[in-house]
Amino acid sequence: MRDYLRLVWTIAGKDVLVEVRTRQRLAAMGAFAVLVGILFNYALDTTQVRAEAIASGLIWMTILFGGMLGLGRTFQLELEDGALTGILQSPIPLDALYLGKVLANFILLAIIVALVFVVFGVFFGLSLRLDRNPAGLGGVVALGVLGFVALTTLFSAVAARSTMGESLLPVLVFPLVVPVVIYGTTATDRLFAGRPLAEVTGNMRMLAAFSLVILVAGAFLFRYVIEE
Amino acid sequence: MSFGLEADGLVRTFGGLHAVEDVSFRLAPGELLAVFGPNGAGKTTLLRMLAGTLRPSAGSVRVGGRPTNVGERGWRRRVGMVSHQSLLYPQLSAEENLRFYGRLFGLKDLDERIPRRLRAAHLSDRGGMPVRELSRGLRQRVALVRALLHDPDVVLLDEPYMGLDASAADRLRTQLASLKNGSRTVVLVTHNVGQGLELADRIAVQFRGRFVALEDRGHWDAEGFEGFYRATVEGVG
Repeated sequence: MRDYLRLVWTIAGKDVLVEVRTRQRLAAMGAFAVLVGILFNYALDTTQVRAEAIASGLIWMTILFGGMLGLGRTFQLELEDGALTGILQSPIPLDALYLGKVLANFILLAIIVALVFVVFGVFFGLSLRLDRNPAGLGGVVALGVLGFVALTTLFSAVAARSTMGESLLPVLVFPLVVPVVIYGTTATDRLFAGRPLAEVTGNMRMLAAFSLVILVAGAFLFRYVIEE
Repeated sequence: MSFGLEADGLVRTFGGLHAVEDVSFRLAPGELLAVFGPNGAGKTTLLRMLAGTLRPSAGSVRVGGRPTNVGERGWRRRVGMVSHQSLLYPQLSAEENLRFYGRLFGLKDLDERIPRRLRAAHLSDRGGMPVRELSRGLRQRVALVRALLHDPDVVLLDEPYMGLDASAADRLRTQLASLKNGSRTVVLVTHNVGQGLELADRIAVQFRGRFVALEDRGHWDAEGFEGFYRATVEGVG
């Protein structure tokens, strides 16, 4: 088990190191988050619409669309000089490869999520009442992001093997990510409104179940996607 | 007799295209098989099946007498592959690449092993450089160090000379020749008759997926084999 976890971390650590060197995906996702915040700032008339009332939906949409920009390129770097062939030629279990990729993507998207909250805090001047339940909000966002990342990582492998490439990815991912949108936005909305954690535990359970199912299914199906 | 590498009736189809058709051979430890063929003959597809990165449509591969399949992954510790692609991450240094691959192969002594291997390949002073800043020749030397880092019994070489200038090709030829000084089984795929024949113990000609010739190198010289190769390929075509 320890060796298995070491392999997962080896893959994740390498992906994060490559991203630190290139900053390609973080730059694309970060720029998207900031620009969307600016555009929403001008697009919404806050004298007519209360920012707090729609903030959770906007934040989750920004995370999902922004995440798609970066996570869709998960396997592009591997294909650059045949590195994926090198990995497949090693004895690493393919589910460990998948979980390592998920972990790396989760770390990268967590950075973007933090940026999204800062951007929306600044542009909308949200009084989010984070002081009341920061752990609850963190839990909701982490579970939702984990499910999204697990799904997108699997399908980015499909897209990398397809001639349609990245244009195929949103078509595959967005219909399946609906549970994250429903339970994530509802729970976030309630926590923004300062409601107690007990009111969102059901949503958190659904998000956890969704993430777990996708992770297990992804780990099992990954070999059929990545092998030729 | 135990064989280093055996292929038995290997077939690979892509849709209706038969990329590899009924290829069989047996190589003893220490033997080098050079596979020649024109572009599109199926050489790379064959090598990918031997490396376990492509599932055969039919047939089987044995490494050291043990059957392999794509699903079971432990046997990959016994195989190393060099491709015309480097299989390296251009953004990482040679050392970082080797450390990454070493961990995937479960090697424990990387702090000692990597500097030693880089030194042996005359790459000590380049180990910290990002791979993208290395010349094609240096990159190929790092690729060879990567492929041999885990001391595989079987080494698969796919057009390793591609894109190298004369001096880099000479240096690589010396390194490849040293592979034979041991018990390694080597398969070298190339369309360059001169470079392949120089090192080969056995030679095969692949055309339209099939081995149309498979024999001991014997006393073939480059010129004689070139004529035989052309006659074979044209005769079949």
